[in-house]
Amino acid sequence: MSRTHRLRLVLPRAPHAELLAGAAVEELGLQAGFPRDTLEEVKLAVVEACLNALEYGNGDVEVELVAHDDRVEARVIDHGPGFDPRRVERPSLDTKLHAQRKRGWGLELMRRLMDLVEVESRPGSTTVRMVRRRGGG
Amino acid sequence: MDTFELKVAQQDGRLAVLEVAGYINNEAGEAIAAEARRLLENGHRSLLLDLAATRIINSIGISLLLEVLEQVLEVRGTLAFCSLSPSIAKTFQIMGLAQYTQIHPDRALALTSLAATP
Repeated sequence: MSRTHRLRLVLPRAPHAELLAGAAVEELGLQAGFPRDTLEEVKLAVVEACLNALEYGNGDVEVELVAHDDRVEARVIDHGPGFDPRRVERPSLDTKLHAQRKRGWGLELMRRLMDLVEVESRPGSTTVRMVRRRGGG
Repeated sequence: MDTFELKVAQQDGRLAVLEVAGYINNEAGEAIAAEARRLLENGHRSLLLDLAATRIINSIGISLLLEVLEQVLEVRGTLAFCSLSPSIAKTFQIMGLAQYTQIHPDRALALTSLAATP
């Protein structure tokens, strides 16, 4: 019989708040029987999404996690000004190494660690939805 | 383990080994970059970061590790990492870090390789 494990949390605006979401991924995923190495990658992707939401959003950052038999889904929602994901440049090490600004790896890591990343963004609401299939990545 | 700790475990001629434990975020990354700068100023040219006790690096921590790499390349030194967790190894692979750094499974192999690096 299939079981779905769900968790919703609202992150405090406090140091290391993103790690609470990471710990929740681990807890939920282990309950659903996902391999620890897979969960470490999902955890990193969720931490990155939360960092962006905490940095650029206003108000609450909401995190919804669902572990199905065959996949883990995460939604990270913030209420910031929004952004156009198509305008986020893909980072390259050669460029970043000699650039003043070396940041900008978050979205790329999410995309490469997860099987699906969708961003819906408008002023006042950004939702990052990510899916990692069992055995995917 | 998420509490950050940084320790210079070995300083031997050109080589210095930094043991890094816990979550590498902006503050931890800045601490690593500052320590690396000090070691390079003191004449060390091969820096090994042992990440055995680190499970997660965020993208801001990553950008600060790139500052360390830039500093090392400026003095024609070598930056090496060892004992990476699978997710950190994948992160480094996504970034293409192996192109500019040495990545080893454990400290013993790293030290052997660095000893042979001119």
